[in-house]
Amino acid sequence: MTRKNIMSSKIIIITTLALLLVGFSVLFIVEARNHNFDYKKDWVAVYFENPRDNSLDFTIENHQGGKATYGYKIFIDEAKTIESEIEIEKGAKQKISPALDKNKLNGTEKITIVVSNKDAEYKIYKNIQ
Amino acid sequence: MILDLIKFILTIPFVLILPGYFFSLAVFGRSNEKISFFERSVLVVPFSLILVDLAVLTLNRLHVPIRGMVLVGTILIISLVGFIVYQYRFKKGLKGVEKSEKISVSEELFNFSFWQVIFILISLVLAVFIRVAYLSDTIIPSSTDLGHHMYWVQNIVNNGSLPTYGIPDFIIGEHIIFAVFNLISGVEVMTAFPALILLFINILGIFTLTILVARLFKKKNATTLSFFVAGVLYAVSAPQGKYISGGVVGNIIGDMLIPVVLYFLYRALKERDQIFAGLFVFSFLGLLYTHHLSAFVLIFSVVAVLFIYLVLNIKRAFGIISDWLKIFLKPVPIIFLLLAAFYFLFIYTPSYFDKSAVSQATGEPSKITRTGLSLAQIELNVGSARLLLGALGIVLLILSFKPKKYRYSFVLGWTLVLFVMAYKPGWMYVNIPSDRIGNYLFLPLTVLSAYALAKYFEMLRRSSTKFFAAAFLYTLLFFVITNGLADSADAFKVKNQFQEAMETFHSAQYLAQATDSGKDVILKDHVNIYGDSWYKLFFMKDYKYPLSRGNLSRYDDPTKPREMCTRDMISSPQSAEASKCYSETGVNYIAVNAQIEGKSFETYPDFSKVYGSNYVSIFKRD
Repeated sequence: MTRKNIMSSKIIIITTLALLLVGFSVLFIVEARNHNFDYKKDWVAVYFENPRDNSLDFTIENHQGGKATYGYKIFIDEAKTIESEIEIEKGAKQKISPALDKNKLNGTEKITIVVSNKDAEYKIYKNIQ
Repeated sequence: MILDLIKFILTIPFVLILPGYFFSLAVFGRSNEKISFFERSVLVVPFSLILVDLAVLTLNRLHVPIRGMVLVGTILIISLVGFIVYQYRFKKGLKGVEKSEKISVSEELFNFSFWQVIFILISLVLAVFIRVAYLSDTIIPSSTDLGHHMYWVQNIVNNGSLPTYGIPDFIIGEHIIFAVFNLISGVEVMTAFPALILLFINILGIFTLTILVARLFKKKNATTLSFFVAGVLYAVSAPQGKYISGGVVGNIIGDMLIPVVLYFLYRALKERDQIFAGLFVFSFLGLLYTHHLSAFVLIFSVVAVLFIYLVLNIKRAFGIISDWLKIFLKPVPIIFLLLAAFYFLFIYTPSYFDKSAVSQATGEPSKITRTGLSLAQIELNVGSARLLLGALGIVLLILSFKPKKYRYSFVLGWTLVLFVMAYKPGWMYVNIPSDRIGNYLFLPLTVLSAYALAKYFEMLRRSSTKFFAAAFLYTLLFFVITNGLADSADAFKVKNQFQEAMETFHSAQYLAQATDSGKDVILKDHVNIYGDSWYKLFFMKDYKYPLSRGNLSRYDDPTKPREMCTRDMISSPQSAEASKCYSETGVNYIAVNAQIEGKSFETYPDFSKVYGSNYVSIFKRD
């Protein structure tokens, strides 16, 4: 075997490895960047901190690519009891603990939280028993 | 991010090259006329893959915890053993062979001209570029199959031992290599790395086909063209780019290993060489531990190849069988056969290796999807250009037919049996989804296509009236390139679903934190939530946790009764059947698409909506 004989094989194999190295790097970086709740994303999440009990603490997460103001309303059945708004930084989340007037609760009602931003509304609710 | 990338890249040669290199050194020495530098470079990866699989199976059998440092030590020991065997076999008695400066026939097969090298490099650049472009829009781990496989990988990583699947759908070789990469490099499973390993194996599959083409036809033009046909034509369609992004692990590894097994069988029979016979058994063992369908298809292919060869040489049939026995009843293949039997019986028996799994795969086709593909479906499956070139290859092969040469039986037997298995599976008592079989047809058709093009170029050069031959050739090439590259345009049209995937992961994260997986039971919707199969990685409780509403067509199974609860609890949650299901299963959380089922669930009074995002809603049954 001479060096000249395997030169073309070496060129093909080294080039393939180099191509794969570049391809892997590109894909790895694309994945790592996008595997993120905020990078080039535009969405909001609203959820109860504890879905298992009757507590009404809830969180708003802002993944809209910039600082945003969210209005929120809290209804006991159909009656609006709280209305407020909150500003949340890009990629941040804010926990809110609503202070409901316990006199207005009779024990079995639906508590609905409606969070709004521009034209979008996000609704969560609990059937309190 | 960069550190993870570096760790991943450094792990590749350590896991997928080092053990195979020392194994090849032990088998062939540093240089050997039997094998070229090119072939050795290609084969070190499948060797490594099989050795690492066998090593992990052994560790597990010995109850040694499968951890990063243990694996590093094991790979170093395998390499050291290979080196010692090499020293013993080649440094003492065969110095003359080692220092031979003769230009071997093997090297000459892969000694490409300048223009051939340029053509191969262009083909490889295109092959990698098209796949990377396609994958860049699907690279976030989200495909269904990959999610299922990665659950088992994470299971190995968490427990330090191999899992008991309990179902024949998964084979251990589909998971070991990913677990080894995770444990050695530390790179998380939910990153790009599983898809990158599949890409690496898929690109290597081009090379394994190429060395088979080189040995079958001994035509450098055919070898050169095989890079183009295997790498560039239909680079996005299944079983190429789409199988990588889809995480069809077994098929990707199987498509790389099948040509290796046939390569060794061909060389064992043609050269009557016991080393190649042993390596045939070794590589087949690797395939058996990796993918049942590929192994099943290969068994039929090997039987067809041998049967056709015997039929074509019927007068010498007994002499041929006696020759084959002489090749395989020698020390090296017998050692490998005993090793295979030992592993199957005492180290690890694959989960599919039982009577029920075999009887499920054989017999009269039991479903409409198993009764065979039409010719139009086969054309769609393998691509019009590849089918046309393959047919041309068969014609040209028959025109220069020499029954005594193994190459004809290999190519025709392989193609014919796969075609029959896909077209009329009932004839072969095959009871497997026909499109899955059809996906293997690309392998022999690629071999035939490369041969057809190379042979036609040869005929054109010799032809006295070149005009019509050249006109036909250029028309053919125009069709092949436009048709074969049409799917590659999809690589640039795919709209990524990164946001949907991330919202799915966020909802899974929420449920994993907010619920008690010991008490709460979650049902999520596979039909309308993208990337939902990765949900289970956030809980790592059980393969079937959370429960899942599967594709609706799966509930309509004429062969056996299916459970309907997972469908009814989402599709008609207010029905009496669903109420019964909720009581029986204990499901109390439902994750659904916010825009589809989410809107319906908001109208049902029995549910609280505890989580809402643009894409996913989670309801709690009160």
